[in-house]
Amino acid sequence: MLIQESRTYQLAKAALLAVLLAVTPVTGVLRAQTKPLPTAEKQEDPLNVLYKAADKAFEEKKYKEALDLFQELEDKAGDVANSMKAVLSFRKATCLFFMKDWPKAQVELTAFLDKYPKGTEDFFDGDNRRGTAELILIEAFSKQGKWDQALARLEKIRTNTLARPEERVSAFTLSAQIVVDRAKSSTDDLKKAAYAQAISLLKQATAEGINTPERREAAYKLVEMYTKLGLTKEATQLKNEIDARSTGSPVEVVRSNFQRLEIGDARFAAAESAADEAFRGDFYRQALNNYQGTLRRVNLTRSFGKAIETKTAEVEGMTKAAPKPNAEQADNIRRAQLDLEQFKKIEAEFKANKDYDAFISYRIGLCLLELKRPWEAHVAFLDIFENSPEFSRIAGAYYYHILALRRIGRNNEAQAKCKEFIQKFPKDEMVSSIALILGDISQEREEFPEAIEHYKWVLANVANLTPEIAEEIDFRIAACLFSQVDWAPAQKAFEAFLKKYERSSVRQQVLYMNALCSFFQGKYKETKIDFDKYEQEYPKGQFIPDVRYRQAIVKFGVNPPDIAGTIKLCEDWLKDFAKDRTDEVIAQTPEVYTLIGDAHIRMADELDKKVKAADIDLRVNLKTPDRAKFAAIKDKLEKEKEAVTGKAIDAYEAAAKSARTNPQALEFVLGELRKLLPGRGEHKRMRDLFKEIFDWDHNDPKAMTYLYEVIRSTERMGDMPEFAQQAEKVRKDFSAKLADGRKAVDQLERKQGVTRPEIDTAKEAVKKLSAELEAELAKVEVKRQASIAEQKKRALKILSDAVAESINDRKQEGTEKLIVFLAEKLARKIKRVKAGAKPEPGAYTSADAEKELTKLLRLEENRSSLVAQARGFFALGQLAVFTREPEKTAANFAKIAANFKAEELNPTILALVGESLLAKGDLKKAEEFCRYILEFARSSEYADYGFAGLADIRFGEKKYAEALSLCNEAIDNNILMSKELDLRFTRARALAELAKYDEAKAGFKEIAETKEWRGEKTAASLYWLGLIEERQATDKEGYARAIAYYRRCFMTWKKYEVWSAKAYFSAAKLFASKLDQKNEAKLILQEMLQKDRIKDTREAEEAKAYLLGL
Amino acid sequence: MRRPLLLTAFALLAAASSPAQTFVFKGERWEVNDPFKLDNSVPPKPVVDEKKGVINVIKGTVDRTTNRGGFVSTDTRKLSEVTEIIWPTPARLQEAQNNVNRGEPAKALDNVEAVLKFFEPLKNVPGSLWVKASLIKLDALDRLENDAATNSFLTAFEKEEAAKKPEVATQIQLARLMLRARKGEHDAVIREATELLTKVDSSELQARLHLTKGNSLLAAKKYEAAMTTYLRVPVFFGSETEMIPKALLGAARAFRGMDSPALRDQKLEAVSNRYLYDIIVSFPVSKEAEEAKKLLPPEERAKAEADQKKIAAGGPLPEGVMLAKPKLAAEEKVEGNK
Repeated sequence: MLIQESRTYQLAKAALLAVLLAVTPVTGVLRAQTKPLPTAEKQEDPLNVLYKAADKAFEEKKYKEALDLFQELEDKAGDVANSMKAVLSFRKATCLFFMKDWPKAQVELTAFLDKYPKGTEDFFDGDNRRGTAELILIEAFSKQGKWDQALARLEKIRTNTLARPEERVSAFTLSAQIVVDRAKSSTDDLKKAAYAQAISLLKQATAEGINTPERREAAYKLVEMYTKLGLTKEATQLKNEIDARSTGSPVEVVRSNFQRLEIGDARFAAAESAADEAFRGDFYRQALNNYQGTLRRVNLTRSFGKAIETKTAEVEGMTKAAPKPNAEQADNIRRAQLDLEQFKKIEAEFKANKDYDAFISYRIGLCLLELKRPWEAHVAFLDIFENSPEFSRIAGAYYYHILALRRIGRNNEAQAKCKEFIQKFPKDEMVSSIALILGDISQEREEFPEAIEHYKWVLANVANLTPEIAEEIDFRIAACLFSQVDWAPAQKAFEAFLKKYERSSVRQQVLYMNALCSFFQGKYKETKIDFDKYEQEYPKGQFIPDVRYRQAIVKFGVNPPDIAGTIKLCEDWLKDFAKDRTDEVIAQTPEVYTLIGDAHIRMADELDKKVKAADIDLRVNLKTPDRAKFAAIKDKLEKEKEAVTGKAIDAYEAAAKSARTNPQALEFVLGELRKLLPGRGEHKRMRDLFKEIFDWDHNDPKAMTYLYEVIRSTERMGDMPEFAQQAEKVRKDFSAKLADGRKAVDQLERKQGVTRPEIDTAKEAVKKLSAELEAELAKVEVKRQASIAEQKKRALKILSDAVAESINDRKQEGTEKLIVFLAEKLARKIKRVKAGAKPEPGAYTSADAEKELTKLLRLEENRSSLVAQARGFFALGQLAVFTREPEKTAANFAKIAANFKAEELNPTILALVGESLLAKGDLKKAEEFCRYILEFARSSEYADYGFAGLADIRFGEKKYAEALSLCNEAIDNNILMSKELDLRFTRARALAELAKYDEAKAGFKEIAETKEWRGEKTAASLYWLGLIEERQATDKEGYARAIAYYRRCFMTWKKYEVWSAKAYFSAAKLFASKLDQKNEAKLILQEMLQKDRIKDTREAEEAKAYLLGL
Repeated sequence: MRRPLLLTAFALLAAASSPAQTFVFKGERWEVNDPFKLDNSVPPKPVVDEKKGVINVIKGTVDRTTNRGGFVSTDTRKLSEVTEIIWPTPARLQEAQNNVNRGEPAKALDNVEAVLKFFEPLKNVPGSLWVKASLIKLDALDRLENDAATNSFLTAFEKEEAAKKPEVATQIQLARLMLRARKGEHDAVIREATELLTKVDSSELQARLHLTKGNSLLAAKKYEAAMTTYLRVPVFFGSETEMIPKALLGAARAFRGMDSPALRDQKLEAVSNRYLYDIIVSFPVSKEAEEAKKLLPPEERAKAEADQKKIAAGGPLPEGVMLAKPKLAAEEKVEGNK
């Protein structure tokens, strides 16, 4: 992609080379005769006139015309000095060279060099032009592909110690160029060898420094060769050296700049083809450095401007200084003019290239995207949209910007960009890919209706969709319908797809999904046909395991279900795929086990019906001789049911244990096991299973639920079935004895002549037996309680282990939840006593709970951990919340505030402790905590505590604008989890204080009218509404409106004494001062002062004084 | 064993190639002694090469003693006759710039004042380092946040001829914008900085303006705009290494501001922390690195510091770090006014 783009600056480069070519071969630009022709003493010689005309045509670049004139001159000149003949020959050759007539130029130049060993002698200046002729002859050879001839001539110059040094340097440079050109269409190895040879030649050219234009030219070439060979370090070093010696001419500036771009492109290309990731990163980084180092349009334009300005001044100065210039001066002026002209040409061509800046941003964006810096890439592409909307590669910019947006998680923006692109460039070749992304984003976010809508929109609106993309979109639409469980439409779509794209690459998947559509609609007959078709076409297809599993389900789903067939298929499945460790099979295994479990449960249900029938039979035949037979039948059925249920549980358990990668299956089987195991008293099995699952990943979002189950099962394990059995046995043992005893008493009482003492003795015996029974049962109960206590202890230990595991990790926010759970469990152990009453001796008190909590949190072991210690105080504070000891809570939270920095705590503690500090008036520390939340935990579920707390503090400081800004920020960004009411209340108050009454009223009304928020803030809002009306009132009606709100406040919300007191007092003052109704005011104040809750408020004190004054 | 020798050789080469301090008079050039080069005596005295001219600031002259065949003569030229100055950046000026970067504005002022005082009589001569020193002083005052001093310095500076050069005038305008930003006039600063950005073409000024604009956007809680403004500095002006840590710090703060529970998926806190990490790892000796350490949570701060030490000891760059790069040599070369 970058190679294509390089074209844009290649245009500018071409212009640059044109300048160099125009200047290089004509270093001794032909000028008018310095020596007059023999006949030109007084009257100008016609030959001289002809020469001047030819010279003028040459200067004006009319080479054909110039050539004809030089030819005419040569024909007419006849027998002139050899030097003159040489001049004409050289001029003709130059014309042919510029006309790009390489063969004729070669002939003429060869003739010049052969015939005139002294060249043009001193006709032009000290240079006899043989060197120049040699160089352009070589150029003519190379243009014709006569590499060997060119190189042979160059070698002569290079080795000629008598040649001018700069000619030798140019010969080296040209040799290098020819060596490279010669290898242009060779293999890569030969090319590399040519570059190496060129480097060697160029190194010789630059061996004595780069202080002349020729040497700098060689150095530029050397940079190019280094770049091509990937020797970036050398290229960069040399380039910097050239830059350091730059004369600042626009030619050099532009060349240097584009060379930097070239190095960047070379690095980018190297990165694209690098196999090693580490190298790739380095290459992209190097490319980026070069792109970032290139000058922007504005800088280049400025340097052009300056250069042109300087050159113009130079030309003007020279023209002014020599109004009648001699030949040398005229030559200098012409050279300066030529330079100026070329500078302007470069500038014009550069200005015409509107894409320059955008291409740099584009390249930078690509590098950043590759370097996994999507945010920076986003900024780079934004620059293109903002500053170069007409960029020729805007489609690419859109595409990569969309990629960047997706990588930073801005899918909505990415979709908007996709739509914008499709609307703006409906015929662009990228439209298909971008259209696909549009729907893909929704599909990925499981927003299937939107995805379908996008895909359909694309089909309807994008004219030039490629067939591949159209096919993919059709498939995706069907897949979306499938994903949103619209089975019938999905099936229709799949069937249409199969008809339309018979040889589609996704045929296998479509066949399978089509069968699933039948399956999920309960059309088992069709499902079987569809699956059979799939198996037939793809006997080793990727969905075979699932197909076989579904076929088992079909057997189970038919009426009546084929249970045995289902189980057989499942067992075969397990056997056949036992060794297959693909993700799909691993994820499907629990489903297969679940199906086995379900099949057994169905069998158990059937058996249950039979058991019930057998039970009825038994009851009917209870007193018949067949009783034993029916009892045996029932017993057998019960045993069968038990065995089948056991198998179901085994299967579910196996499913659960294998469902690590299948959360849905896991949830289902755990639900089933939660129903089955506790009812059977299998708490240990339940505990072990959940423990195993909990241990898979303690950071799993559901880990806490599993842990609760572990703890509950552990606690239940204490109440073992054997205790019930023992108790039952004791009762059974005693029941016969007791029955005999009671019977004996009864008989004695009925029997005549039995004395009272005898009856009493019998009764005593029964009593004794009863007492013994109770004692025996109590023994069992003691054992049971001990067992329960023991298991509860174990449960706490498990919880303690879980907390201790993460107590040192500040970032584990779940730890606080566990701590609260633990505190709650301990709080439940405390036997509550009335306030002021002493607990029973030996009872478990809150002090005991505190000790136990400290022990369970293993705070001693974690003494060095700041966060563990802070969590200790937090736990004690929370325990006090459950034991309703607010002072202890405040004291523990105050310890956190005093001993820990905000950065040592996590958002939960910061928020809850900060709130407590705020309530206690420790504003400084509260602010520190709130600020920290705002700075570090804006995305936590406690972020709103930070905003609400800080806004409240600012409001208290009367910094209403700041308070408002904080509330607005939270509300605008929807940071409103637990503190929405507080934030809206503070916002409304701040608005009121800033005299933005309409907005404030709307805010308070919203609070007052929201049922879910009914409470203190409702009372406060009513008071504030009254206050706003009072502040805005200008007449009696206005004050009456205020009083109406005050009345609503104190009449409806007496329990919030602070607000009702304020409302009473404010209403009374308005009656007395604004409405001139002092009696009414008195009545209100008297009523106010009778209220017990209000008596001790500050307003009550003021009201008393006010009442006296009325 | 070879390393010290090589270093010495390099040092010698560097010394040999560094241009000498030269005053250009009409038709004549004098090499002069560098008054900032001091010997090791206590108190240190300037190192004087007798062949070179000695500047007498108080008299406003340059005196040069020459010995021609035993005949000693002293030539004196007035400083006011100097038409051009060739002066490599003095170490004190470089140190002043480093002080600013490291967040030591008071030290920067100490260092820069000496240079300013020296070039004061030559402030309008082409090649004088007075303007450069003044701009560093402006930076130092800005870091000190001493608005009164900055204001008074700016007022005096504006009256100078040198301040009329477009690039200097823009720097002054920029400094004024920074003052206004501190006064809370953020909307105006954003507007004017945006306008100035279209007129400025030096990448240094562009980077500075982006920073100023970003700061005001951040203060105005326009976090998204602040983020894109700050990030333009590392993205497009990567060679302005002095500005990069400031821009990254600003971007990190902007990301924090953008963060909310609704945007949890974008992991903006982690993105912010990554920028802070980059500052610590890539620009360890900067004021911003200290700030970044304060902003990073303790665990990540420790990791960043450990990684920075590893990199300093020659360890590999952690994945994704792109800023810990050497500057291009040409950009690194500070050749004073050459």
